[in-house]
Amino acid sequence: MDQFLQNYGFLLVTLVQQSLLAYSLYFPLMAGQLSLASPGFYALGGYIAAIMATAEYFAPWRDALGWGIFPLGWLAAGIISGILALLVGIPALRLRGIYLALATIAFVEILRVICLNLAITGGAIGIFGIPQLFESRWSYIWTFGPLLLLILCFSYRLDRSRVGRAFKAIREDELAADAMGINPTRYKVLAFVIGAVLAGVVGAMSAPFLNTWNARQGTFDASIAYLAYVLIGGSRSMWGPLLGGIMLSALPEILRPLKDARLIINGLVLVFASIYLPQGIVGAVGSIRNFTTQTLGIGRSEK
Amino acid sequence: MTVLLEAERLCRNFGGLKAVNEVTFQVMEGEIFGLIGPNGAGKTTLFNLMTGLTPVSSGVLRYRGNILTGLPPHRIAAQGIGRTFQNIRLFKGLSALENIKVSQHVTTKSGLLSGFFGTPSSRVEEKRVEEKAWELLALVGLSDRAAELAANFSYGDQRRLEIARALALDPKIVLLDEPAAGMNSSEKQGLSEFIRAIRDRFKLTVLLIEHHVPLVMNLCDRIAVLNFGELITVGEPAEVQKNRDVIEAYLGAE
Amino acid sequence: MDAVQFLQNFLNGISIGSVYAIFALGYTLVFSILGIINFAHGAIFTLGAYLTYSLAVGQFGIGGLLADLQLPFQFSFTISLFIGAILSGMAGVLVERCAFRPLRTRGADPLLALVSSLGVALVTVNLLQYLVGSEIYSFPSDVYGDIRPAFLLHIGEKLVVVRTVQIIIFAVSMVVLALLGYLIGWTRIGKALRAVAENASTASLLGINVDRFILYTFFLSGFLGGMAGSLVGTSFGIAGPYFGVSYGLKGLAVIVMGGLGSIPGAVLGGMVIGLAEAFVPSEYSAYKEAVAFAFLFAVLLIRPQGLLGSSQIQKV
Repeated sequence: MDQFLQNYGFLLVTLVQQSLLAYSLYFPLMAGQLSLASPGFYALGGYIAAIMATAEYFAPWRDALGWGIFPLGWLAAGIISGILALLVGIPALRLRGIYLALATIAFVEILRVICLNLAITGGAIGIFGIPQLFESRWSYIWTFGPLLLLILCFSYRLDRSRVGRAFKAIREDELAADAMGINPTRYKVLAFVIGAVLAGVVGAMSAPFLNTWNARQGTFDASIAYLAYVLIGGSRSMWGPLLGGIMLSALPEILRPLKDARLIINGLVLVFASIYLPQGIVGAVGSIRNFTTQTLGIGRSEK
Repeated sequence: MTVLLEAERLCRNFGGLKAVNEVTFQVMEGEIFGLIGPNGAGKTTLFNLMTGLTPVSSGVLRYRGNILTGLPPHRIAAQGIGRTFQNIRLFKGLSALENIKVSQHVTTKSGLLSGFFGTPSSRVEEKRVEEKAWELLALVGLSDRAAELAANFSYGDQRRLEIARALALDPKIVLLDEPAAGMNSSEKQGLSEFIRAIRDRFKLTVLLIEHHVPLVMNLCDRIAVLNFGELITVGEPAEVQKNRDVIEAYLGAE
Repeated sequence: MDAVQFLQNFLNGISIGSVYAIFALGYTLVFSILGIINFAHGAIFTLGAYLTYSLAVGQFGIGGLLADLQLPFQFSFTISLFIGAILSGMAGVLVERCAFRPLRTRGADPLLALVSSLGVALVTVNLLQYLVGSEIYSFPSDVYGDIRPAFLLHIGEKLVVVRTVQIIIFAVSMVVLALLGYLIGWTRIGKALRAVAENASTASLLGINVDRFILYTFFLSGFLGGMAGSLVGTSFGIAGPYFGVSYGLKGLAVIVMGGLGSIPGAVLGGMVIGLAEAFVPSEYSAYKEAVAFAFLFAVLLIRPQGLLGSSQIQKV
């Protein structure tokens, strides 16, 4: 077992971490909004945690708080990401359609250029030698794991609550939702902010886990990867991002023998999945189940 | 009887087209008010102006003396104005029950965190939402299909579900845009009775757009006739039926 | 900044701005017809640059699987540019067939078209990397034949440098813009395209084969994208298979700036952003890459419909 965790611990934690990032897209999508900002907030959160853990200025804080500096970093990352998300989200979300996606692409790019040029973020080199919270990679499951559980509970409750229903109504038909008394801008911004806070916190947790942090953490490519997790897993089910995140982030590992060709296969997976699995894997499983119960009468439960 | 809703010289232009032109009328509390007119007369546009989906070009709308014009749709809905759509805009990917729950948004308060933690007040509220949703489903006779997606319902059932969704707002006024479209004559008869019943039960004021003239004549207390965006006449069915301009508008349009 | 510096920046700006314009037009054409952004457009840009390079130089890049292969022929730059753009247009058609049509015929969620076009982009870019490697390289300096590499304008004591490439870029872009304007404004194909953009179902009732015109649109879009990539490639070199990504994103800023779906808007937006980048003072040049996106935000805040877009009336 120890040997197994030695070899695969990093991968296992990465799968959880990537799934969490998938959820950061899932919440805006629940309100029908495509946000590609997650890598931006993820990078930002990571920088915040990395700076708090390494910068001279925070040395007295570190001495006073000990390991408490880490949770404080998560909190700071969450709050700052949330505030920034409000500033980015409000102008873009007053509008219907594709504007949020475009604004978030712009946000990620601007942030990336800024981080590449500031001294505090270490410029192009980034920040390295970030102090560790745990001794082994695998132990980071104790930060990412509980966060995932929390997010799963949150998704479950959200789906069955007033706010979650407002999200879904906007996704289904923004105009009709408006006519039914739901303020679309408000709930779209809320959904976007939830995703941003989550991405920020995951970033803050990831900085010590990955040991180094630089502007490559937040790129457009990462946005696409997270989007693929959600859509291929299933954007209409709370299990979709988890399933998609785990499967797709394990895929490069499985395809490792293919070397350079594996990114080509990644792309093909995206194309085929969007064409043949429009509801994602969870949706496809659901329709198969419906088919077997309704058409074949297998496993039909009594009312 | 008191005036509930009042339109004063309401206008809406689309480019050069005057879709609604200087329309003035009043709707009394508790009445069933019909809106008729040939295709393209501006009936649906008028509904959209009243619910804020289309901004007015000029003119004023008042509800109980408060100005509605300029408010976004959700603020208007929150004042107790519910509606249905000509081309049915249910939340198709949600279940029938959820469609009705969604519309109870304005009468409930629970937020993100109280919903997550399941605070006592949010639990009480959620229970009330659930009960009311079932009640309204039963009212339109769809309670045995509560979990089905709205998209899977027949056209007539979707229309009924949409009315139930509008009622979930606890409205004082409902605007029904062609509720009888696609129904056969016995269904239309049933619909008339249903509209009267909900009016009495929920103390509603009903505005409706309808093409089927006999239905309107039977059901409505008063009728407004629009043609080319202008109001030709408002009055009781018998008067309207005799109005020469109305006859001309209809015959001329044929 | 003195007048000479201003002139220099201005010339640099309109040259790169004209490429942004034709590139962004590729997005706009597709958007105006389908209401969807084709995220594979940046990959077509890259592909165009590689194709033109291979045709003009006679070899496939430097590294990768095809490193040792030589083309048996070599074309002049003009012809390579043209063929490269035609081939890119065909790639655009292929993108439509693979990523858009299957979804359209099913009436799928438009979000999925974003993902499938991103998928096609990923395949294209990585296939390129696999085949021609990820090296950075530039067109040989003699690619235009005997024309001198730059023209110098003496203004008093000062010097304004106009690279030949810049003139070529500007001239080619203007010719392409003029032809496109003619095509859309004055020909039957253009009229049909506009009809499809206005309302696809009405157009099909009028007997216009909508699917065919969507293919034409993707061809034009790919042609413009490939042309833009080739022009940028000759000017700044080909910075590996990913070099289209940043232009792809910048192009999005351009079309939002001009107004989504507006053809003159894309041209104006391209020029504005090209000029704005050129006028970034040299001490802030590291932030040049962010200028387009800053503009995007400004437009969203101040004039969401873009410079030349009209605010749309939502159909209820």
